[in-house]
Amino acid sequence: MILENLKLRCYRNLTEADIAWNEHFNIIYGQNAQGKTNLLEAIYLLGHLKSFRGARGNELINHAEETAWVGAVVTQGVVKHRLEIGLQKNGRNPRIDGKTVQKLSQFLGYFRTVLFTPEELSNVKGFPAGRRALLDRAILQTEPAYLDRVQEYDRVLRQRNQLLKQQADDFQLAPWTEALVRTGSRIRHDRQVYLKRLLPHFCQVYREIGGGQESAGLNYSIEQMPLEQLTAHLAGALERLALREKKLGLTLAGPHRDDLDFLVEGRSLRAFGSQGQQRSFLLAFKAAQVMDLEVQFKEPPVLLLDDLASELDNRRQEGFFNFLLNRRGQVFLTSAQTPLLTEPVLQTGSFFKVDQGMVTATSPERG
Amino acid sequence: MLDSIPSFARLVAELAKFPGVGNKTATRLAFFLLRQPKGQAEALAGAILDLQRNTRFCSVCFHITEQDPCALCCDPGRDATLLCVVEEPQALLAIERSRSFKGLYHVLHGALSPLDGIGPEDLKIAPLISRLEQGGFQEILIATNFTVEGDATALYLAKLIQPLGIRVTRLAYGIPMGSELEYVDEATVNRAVEGRRDI
Ligand SMILES: [Zn+2]
Repeated sequence: MILENLKLRCYRNLTEADIAWNEHFNIIYGQNAQGKTNLLEAIYLLGHLKSFRGARGNELINHAEETAWVGAVVTQGVVKHRLEIGLQKNGRNPRIDGKTVQKLSQFLGYFRTVLFTPEELSNVKGFPAGRRALLDRAILQTEPAYLDRVQEYDRVLRQRNQLLKQQADDFQLAPWTEALVRTGSRIRHDRQVYLKRLLPHFCQVYREIGGGQESAGLNYSIEQMPLEQLTAHLAGALERLALREKKLGLTLAGPHRDDLDFLVEGRSLRAFGSQGQQRSFLLAFKAAQVMDLEVQFKEPPVLLLDDLASELDNRRQEGFFNFLLNRRGQVFLTSAQTPLLTEPVLQTGSFFKVDQGMVTATSPERG
Repeated sequence: MLDSIPSFARLVAELAKFPGVGNKTATRLAFFLLRQPKGQAEALAGAILDLQRNTRFCSVCFHITEQDPCALCCDPGRDATLLCVVEEPQALLAIERSRSFKGLYHVLHGALSPLDGIGPEDLKIAPLISRLEQGGFQEILIATNFTVEGDATALYLAKLIQPLGIRVTRLAYGIPMGSELEYVDEATVNRAVEGRRDI
């Protein structure tokens, strides 16, 4: 999977860009707040149709403009595809090879990326929603249809919550409960299947990249079981919670309330982990995704590393960088610091300087 | 600019209320109408007025009709033991075009959607039940849309009809005819597999 080139119009502060990328290392550098992360975000958008910074669509458009546009040529296997995303104030218009997609999920899978950003560190120790997001984004890269299932569940959930708020009777609630059970247990099943596949990669890589002798684990809040049992399990939980749900006007069980516990030596990182452990954990979780995608699609995903230069100083992360630099695939990394630029392995890469929203191909000496 | 031509601006504003029509398209349509011969514009205006004046909803099935009850409800050639429930008249027309269904219809005029404030009392559900209670129907085919709301409406109706002891069926999730499986989206394939049957 290679990003051949990228064209941007009115994307945040990047008013106009047309960049041909290196098929291995791309180093995006410059002072802070010049647009480095915006550039990485635009690349991420091509694979996820979402910003990793939680930005809404209209925040991605240059504030002086009405619309923005991201266009790229990607190579998947031996086939090139033209991907475009038109951004309007109230929506997105993704196109593949000039054709508008019927469903957003059709767009995913043309350009698989894994992102590493310090911003996601807070997801490890923060609220469950952050960890669910980490997991869901990972699944989407391996299975685009998961997006349809998540959207269906969200819609059912919102409809059901509305009824609960209105104090609707059981008879009106029943079809929505049934739909919630059907779509919700399927999402739990998808998540469990994915985690089961990821776990061996994860344990291996966690030891390799700095966990030393510690054992690590991933624990989904619902025990693993076949889909039919998951369905019965969720239906039972909703039955038990029925009275409280009515009191609160909220759906109290389902994948929207599950958590993914990150364990080191059997203890939850949320409560006990040191900063270093949490960092290693997130990196291992991401590295495991990379390994899984390589196995699933026989092609390495594109790696996006946001502002990880500071991590270089950290001995604990040396193993992680070795892991990254040994990948066969394409890598994009942003850096405000110069030490990174002298890393010998990066000398084969291309350098791009971002200054006040202007992107220029350059070399570190001249830059 | 348009404000200086009030009658033109008024037409654009009215046309822009059409589903799927924005200001740009409305302006184009208005220019088209402007260039038509006088008789053409009168014919269009007449057609719109006639539609409003002459059509109503059938008091039995709630399909659009000029006579009440509608031609479908009055047709003795139709199977009066079989009833198909749809969300909108357009769905009825689609099933009629397929010539695959010979029973009677009932149009709900929407689907349950709490977020849009649409509950059972906002749909033609009460008249449906009293129709069923009058007896004669042996099977109810629920052909609501394959959306979250259409599915929930189907489940709701199934539960409501259950005590009447009438068989309730749901339109099957299908693969479009003439399509090769590899080009059908995953959700459709998924539903089709779940809904498989013996042959
Ligand atoms: Zn009728």
